[in-house]
Amino acid sequence: MVDFIGRMFPPNTAVAKTVLASTLETLQMAFAGTVISALVSFPLGLLGAENLSPSWVHQPVKGFLSILRAIPIILLALMFVSTVGLGPFPGVLALAVHSTGMLGKFYAEAFENASSGPLEALESSGANWIQKVRFGVLTQVAPDLVRDTLFRFELNLRESLILGLVGAGGIGFYIQLYIRSFQYDKVATLTIVLLVIVVLVEQLSVAIRKRLR
Amino acid sequence: MELSSNVEDKSNLREIGKAQAENAISIRDVKFRYTNRSPYVLNIENLRIQKGERVSIIGPSGAGKTTLMRLINGVIEHESGEVKILGKTFDGGSKKSRGFRRRIGFIYQNFNLIDRASVFENVLWGRVAYINPLFSLIGRFCERDKQAALSAIDEVNLTQHMNQRTDTLSGGQMQRVAIARVLVQEPEIILADEPVSNLDPALTDDILNLLAEVSENHKVTLIMNLHQTDLAQRSAERIIGLRSGEIVYDSSQERLFNHVPKSLFDPEVTSLKMPKNRN
Ligand SMILES: Nc1ncnc2c1ncn2[C@@H]1O[C@H](COP(=O)(O)OP(=O)(O)OP(=O)(O)O)[C@@H](O)[C@H]1O
Ligand SMILES: [Mg+2]
Repeated sequence: MVDFIGRMFPPNTAVAKTVLASTLETLQMAFAGTVISALVSFPLGLLGAENLSPSWVHQPVKGFLSILRAIPIILLALMFVSTVGLGPFPGVLALAVHSTGMLGKFYAEAFENASSGPLEALESSGANWIQKVRFGVLTQVAPDLVRDTLFRFELNLRESLILGLVGAGGIGFYIQLYIRSFQYDKVATLTIVLLVIVVLVEQLSVAIRKRLR
Repeated sequence: MELSSNVEDKSNLREIGKAQAENAISIRDVKFRYTNRSPYVLNIENLRIQKGERVSIIGPSGAGKTTLMRLINGVIEHESGEVKILGKTFDGGSKKSRGFRRRIGFIYQNFNLIDRASVFENVLWGRVAYINPLFSLIGRFCERDKQAALSAIDEVNLTQHMNQRTDTLSGGQMQRVAIARVLVQEPEIILADEPVSNLDPALTDDILNLLAEVSENHKVTLIMNLHQTDLAQRSAERIIGLRSGEIVYDSSQERLFNHVPKSLFDPEVTSLKMPKNRN
């Protein structure tokens, strides 16, 4: 172990191009995975919210989401790698599916947290379901949705490291390549870069979330 | 672009024409309870409220005042008997349409505004019944709806605060927004459930006067739940006393039922002469 860490120093800086490309790929994967998941989670969240859907709808939807959450992301990644091949694409799919289990639940809970008084008032004015959601629910919970999505983006950035290890693209993929060929100095460079990105994105996300109210 | 869908409203108007045009609300032998095992919360033999009347319902806590308003508003369905509102008969289980719901405005004790939205948005969204549901996805309202919102905001004197978020307003201002939101519905009945009990006493007259004023200007039937008898006397033309879900007093009948609790309706109330002019 000491030997392993010892050989990581000094970090190799000659891999700038790989670093740049793989960093970009990781960010893109996390972004695409989060966006796809958000798009799918939104309707699922509406259907899974107790205050917006009847129990014969929201109960099975919530069950489905918890099943999604129960599948380890590494399993999803292996599954997608074996069906669509190596590269970032299976990684994005794995992130999207895995994130939906959580985001769908978070969105549903955000919708449920919309206070019911204003919704009753809208209904009394003659609003139908769509209008109730658009004007009453979304206006109230928009900051929560943004917060949840940003948080999921941070998680996806970290998860993408693990995905790379099974061949599903991103920095993790190159780290795993260099580990196999014993180029630990390059591993170090990539690891540091990943750390920096994760911290930066987290700071940015915290800053944005703070401004929401 | 004409987004209004008033077909239903027109047919409603025709129906009113045919039915007794005088009654805004007519309730006969109506019973209501929240669950099958609980006691009846409402048991009303006969209640008629004419168009343009300004009525106050008073009664002890738990008497069923809020429940009665929710019944008129169509949030709950009665079990038996006949409820006729604005010429339309409801015999339980019939869901009120969008077009019908907009004809009755509801003002809440705790305002029920959408906190994060501006005064203008809150009022504009009172027009939901007038717009095509699909257009509401992109949040579009036509010029006529915006004009209606502006003039309602002007009517409650909030034009300077139009773009302010409602969670930054004072309580009195919030209730004014709620009144404007109801006005843009162009309602025929306004129900106000304890509209002033969350407000400073200083603002009470302010809001009650405004309610009286707008209901007069727009020829709207106004029904208020008020906790204090003196407020009811000052701001309504007719007082209805509710107790255990039954109507035990009606100033329009000029008679007092013998089992009315003294604490609630002191003798003064029976010989009440309602002031004809307010403000
Ligand atoms: N959603 C509900 N489910 C079950 N029972 C209810 C519900 N709402 C009210 N009740 C009961 O119905 C009765 C009448 O309640 P209601 O709120 O109409 O009284 P109120 O006259 O408005 O009282 P207050 O002056 O306290 O507002 C009460 O006994 C109350 O406990
Ligand atoms: Mg009440």
